[in-house]
Amino acid sequence: MGWWQNLRQRCQTCSRVTLGAGVFAAAMAVSFVLLTAGAYGLAVTSTEEFCIGCHEMRENVYAEYKGTIHDKNRVGVRATCPSCHVPHEPVALVIRKMQASFEVWGHLTGKIDTKEKFEKHRYEMAVKEWTRMKKNGSQECRNCHHFEAMEAEKQSEKAQARHAKAKAEGTACIDCHFGIAHKEPDGPGPRELKIAK
Amino acid sequence: MLAAMSALVFGITGAQAQSVDTGAAEGLLKKSGCMKCHSVSADKDGPSFKKTAAKYKGKSDAEGTLFKHLTTGPTVKVDGKEERHDIIKSKDDREIKNAIAYILSR
Repeated sequence: MGWWQNLRQRCQTCSRVTLGAGVFAAAMAVSFVLLTAGAYGLAVTSTEEFCIGCHEMRENVYAEYKGTIHDKNRVGVRATCPSCHVPHEPVALVIRKMQASFEVWGHLTGKIDTKEKFEKHRYEMAVKEWTRMKKNGSQECRNCHHFEAMEAEKQSEKAQARHAKAKAEGTACIDCHFGIAHKEPDGPGPRELKIAK
Repeated sequence: MLAAMSALVFGITGAQAQSVDTGAAEGLLKKSGCMKCHSVSADKDGPSFKKTAAKYKGKSDAEGTLFKHLTTGPTVKVDGKEERHDIIKSKDDREIKNAIAYILSR
């Protein structure tokens, strides 16, 4: 280990133990800073404020979301952008964040920086998100809406029948509940997408 | 006048010829729970509005048929089982006809 020999030569008066402890403390400090910065970055980029920091989101999908049941309701519980679009599980979260970092490139190159461009890409963006939500069984919906906690008798007969069928067939929530917070794109819906789970 | 001329020239129905208040139509359809089973262009338990528009394209009785369908709660088949179609949540004929015009113009 060349770096260790180098360090010992630089500090000949230091004992091995002192030098080792110093290296360990420095590594711990660097790790702490990196982990804190990473956690801070993940937390900050998972807020509604961050999501609507760019006009592409604020003036399109966020404007459409305003006033919907997930934004405003009788009890005041909100599902904001990250509630639905950012996985809550650590591994899935990091993977999604890495994918999202490529989306920054789209922002920088102005891929959807006008209404027309946004509409042109709306369907492909929706399909990406539907695909993710179909593959994970609409986990972000189920973080709040639990089949097991649903009091079926308080639902309409139709809703009871649909939910019983969805539960039996393992259908993802997004197969039926799409276009509820944003404008429905023009094209086949999630049900028509053939996606291996 | 223009709407009447369009209807004469292109043979489209009254509902399609009148100008549609999209916001009001979407609001009523949402309030009535229509979007739970229908969508503009995608398949759900009920046909998409685009499919309905295509089905009634050029038919003079389209508006009347859909008006009856939305206001009387007829029996429909979903997944092979019969159930009552929900009634649109409005008593205002103009409002209902606007929603029908919206569906037929998809």
